[in-house]
Amino acid sequence: MKKIDKVLLYSVIILSLFGLLMIYSSSSIWAEYKFNDPYKYLKSQGIFLFLGYIIMFFISKIDFKIYKKYSNIILMICLGLLILVLIPGIGTIRNGSRSWFGIGPLGIQPSEAAKIGLIIFTSKYLSNNKIKDIKHSILPILIILFLTFALIMLQPDLGTGVIIVMSVISLLFISGVNMSFFIKMGILGLIGIIVLIIIAPYRIARITSFINPWSDPLGSGFQIIQSLYAIGPGGLLGMGIGNSIQKHFYLPEPQTDFIFSIISEELGFAGILIVSLLFITIIYRGIKISLSIEDKFAKYLSFGITFSITFQSILNLMVVIGLIPVTGVTLPFLSYGGSSLIISLLEIGILLNISKKEDL
Amino acid sequence: MFTKGINKRIKIILLVIIFLFLIIIIRVFYIQVFDYKKLNNLASNLWNRNLIIGANRGRILTSDNIVVADNTTTVSLVVVPNQIKNKDDVIRDLAKILDVNENKISEHVNKKSSVEIIHPEGRKLSFAIADKINNLNYDGVYLLKEGKRSYPYDTLLSHSIGYVGIDNQGLSGLELKYDKYLTGTNGAIKYYSDAKGNKLNKSSIYVEPTDGLDLYLTINYNIQSAVERELNNAISKYNADGAWAIVMNPQNGEILAISSKPDFSPSNYKNYDIETINRNLAIWSTYEPGSTFKIITLAASIEEKTVDLLKDTFYDGGSVNVEGARIRCWKAGGHGSQTYLEVVQNSCNPGFVSLGNKLGKERLFKYIKEFGFGSKTGIDLNGESNGILFNLDNVGPVELATTSFGQGISVTAIQQITAVSAAINGGFLYKPYIVKRIVEPNTGEIILENSPKLMRNVISKETSQTVRMALETVVAYGTGRNAYIEGYRIGGKTGTAQKVKNGVYMTGNYILSFVGFLPADNPKAVIYVAIDNPKGVVQYGGTVSAPIAKNIMIDVIEELNIKGSDYTLEKTYNWYDTKYAKIPNIIGSNIDDVKKNLKDFTIEYAGNGKIIKEISPSGGTYIPIGSTIKILLGN
Repeated sequence: MKKIDKVLLYSVIILSLFGLLMIYSSSSIWAEYKFNDPYKYLKSQGIFLFLGYIIMFFISKIDFKIYKKYSNIILMICLGLLILVLIPGIGTIRNGSRSWFGIGPLGIQPSEAAKIGLIIFTSKYLSNNKIKDIKHSILPILIILFLTFALIMLQPDLGTGVIIVMSVISLLFISGVNMSFFIKMGILGLIGIIVLIIIAPYRIARITSFINPWSDPLGSGFQIIQSLYAIGPGGLLGMGIGNSIQKHFYLPEPQTDFIFSIISEELGFAGILIVSLLFITIIYRGIKISLSIEDKFAKYLSFGITFSITFQSILNLMVVIGLIPVTGVTLPFLSYGGSSLIISLLEIGILLNISKKEDL
Repeated sequence: MFTKGINKRIKIILLVIIFLFLIIIIRVFYIQVFDYKKLNNLASNLWNRNLIIGANRGRILTSDNIVVADNTTTVSLVVVPNQIKNKDDVIRDLAKILDVNENKISEHVNKKSSVEIIHPEGRKLSFAIADKINNLNYDGVYLLKEGKRSYPYDTLLSHSIGYVGIDNQGLSGLELKYDKYLTGTNGAIKYYSDAKGNKLNKSSIYVEPTDGLDLYLTINYNIQSAVERELNNAISKYNADGAWAIVMNPQNGEILAISSKPDFSPSNYKNYDIETINRNLAIWSTYEPGSTFKIITLAASIEEKTVDLLKDTFYDGGSVNVEGARIRCWKAGGHGSQTYLEVVQNSCNPGFVSLGNKLGKERLFKYIKEFGFGSKTGIDLNGESNGILFNLDNVGPVELATTSFGQGISVTAIQQITAVSAAINGGFLYKPYIVKRIVEPNTGEIILENSPKLMRNVISKETSQTVRMALETVVAYGTGRNAYIEGYRIGGKTGTAQKVKNGVYMTGNYILSFVGFLPADNPKAVIYVAIDNPKGVVQYGGTVSAPIAKNIMIDVIEELNIKGSDYTLEKTYNWYDTKYAKIPNIIGSNIDDVKKNLKDFTIEYAGNGKIIKEISPSGGTYIPIGSTIKILLGN
């Protein structure tokens, strides 16, 4: 038995505590305005973080093999929840999507759980089957994947849907599936995007607004412009923590998707380098675990978890800095959001548990 | 084998991840370093709210440092709607203090605007009202300093100065022409605001306003005042349609005074019709010059040596026949046989027709153009006219004849005084100008300095000297006698021109003018006066305009400190002329010794003794012969 990966653990703890601080800094103005309580978001995120730490601790003690055993059940529960949340009266609508089980002011997103559920299922499936015949060995995964994606798009929650699809595809990629398959998938994906645009034309505005946000500064370009107005004036060293101006109602809900903009504004490029370094450390440790472990399920699982966290981070950062259209994805460990934080810490718990077995 | 394949593909993905993170970091660096300036400016515009502090407009001063366009500080009311806590109270109290309808104030207070000026009700408030508003101490209600234009001398120099609108923008005259120099840069109190308009708890930035630049004119305040006074008197005395006058320094083209009546009060420009405001008659009005124009014909003739003023003679039978057209002399029966100098003194029309004929149309018109007629002088004032000359191809004997004595052409006053200046200053035609320099008020740095601009040399110094001599005799012996000032050498020429309406001469409606200069041996000032359609008076330039010019010249003498001459031409008197005598300087003398020198005056004595202690009026003054002087005696 080896000890758990302490570098990974500390990096996650530092990053999530820093996230808590930045959630307070960015949300206090809005919280005071909306709820007359500047600590509103800090308090609820603090509770979730504490809960998340406990979950991470316990999960790191649980042998990962148990997930392999119960992977089908886990998947079934996840899919069940995804169906349940679509039923009016059970699922509640926030920001135009029926993605939440509302419990008072707190909300739980089943799509977050579906992420880890599908990664576990795919890891098990790939570790049990030799990848020789695409039709027979991959098709079931693709069917499950499409089903999950379709359920999530009914909410709709494109961001999470894309993260799940990309995580599963990345697993297929490392398992040794032929490159021609990915090219076909790419073409299919492209057609899919076109279909989605035809179904909901507001997505075109999102795409054009990221190329030139100033073409519609009060509409689709609004968020990107406000984000750039936060990042740019941050300069090299930032305005100092707590001194953001954009959080004063210019940037809507600055504690969620665009928290990175406020960090840039208050801490400047120097702060961004440190945050990036923490993310890269976490990603690197995650990849290192999956490279070192011999167990095939653990290898797929640890890679899938690391990839989904990484992909979500990159997706969020690229939106915030105007490289891709707005997708509505949060930044792991930093953005406000209980479900996302708990699932992320749970995933880190699994990684930590696998890290103990590295030398086996 | 199998694990190796997976690990290889994991490493590929790791490379892609690292690559993407590099792109993200580089992009953030680009936004925060290279786009910093642009984004920071844009964001600052978004965050900053400005409370404007008005800059003072540059002043306008005369050459003797009298401020003719100044600023008074006023305050204006500004509200920041989002910062107002109790809107109903603010609306009610402001409406009460400003004495306006509550709905009007409500409109401003409820506007979705960051900073709202209460316009026009809250503009340029008195200090009493401002004080009341200040005492309310409401959040979001601000009083800001604003400079308001003031004209301390009201109508003085109004056409040249022009006026400004409510936002202190120049709308006419020098205020308009030099607007970009006179306008300062507004300052501001810049504060950070959140997206809902509330003031953020960050330090405000005070940007100091930069005052506009001061404009120094060539105008002499006292001469200008004298001109204004004399023209106002003339308007009321003769009920004239209009009057205008210019005083110029002939040696460099500087305008010492310029005025046009009717004038206006720049502070209350709305009470005047736009034509009165825009028509600076001294440069805008074009009319037949009449006899003052003969100076040009005279100068050309002397320069071309087509006449010898003293030796050549001309017989005036009262009229001359030019191609069947009878041109009469103004004097019925004519002046008889005269030298050409007497032709000038008598302003004899047939005599000038003969001068024009001797020159021929090419030479005469060449000089007319050289003296600047037919085109703008280029004075730095708006609204100058060109005037109209005959096209040379259309000039026949009749046109040549009338042009010779100043009829059938159309000129402006500024063209005439500029041309006469050249005729008597040695032959140098200068471009007239009124702005001397532009000065930064705080540092005194000269931003722009106008210097005399010589356009061309028109006649020789000798010719100019002869013209001066001839015109001096006009004032001493001829039609200009009413401008004669005892003890000073003054030259001049009168003009009486019939006005033209729709191409037809109007009956009994004249523009009476006089152009004079002094001292005649070395001119320091040229004075041009024109009175439009005076009533109840013999309409001759010599009777109406010459005395006005004389009064102005008396002020010019004092202001420019012009010394009297020992050798002046003795004036010839008609029976109706008042004769003047000079009071000798006799203070300190024994009364018995000097009594014989005082025989021209009636004397009233006071005090006891033989020694003269005081004399009133003081010694050196010219007063009409027979007037009373008072002498205080002592021991």
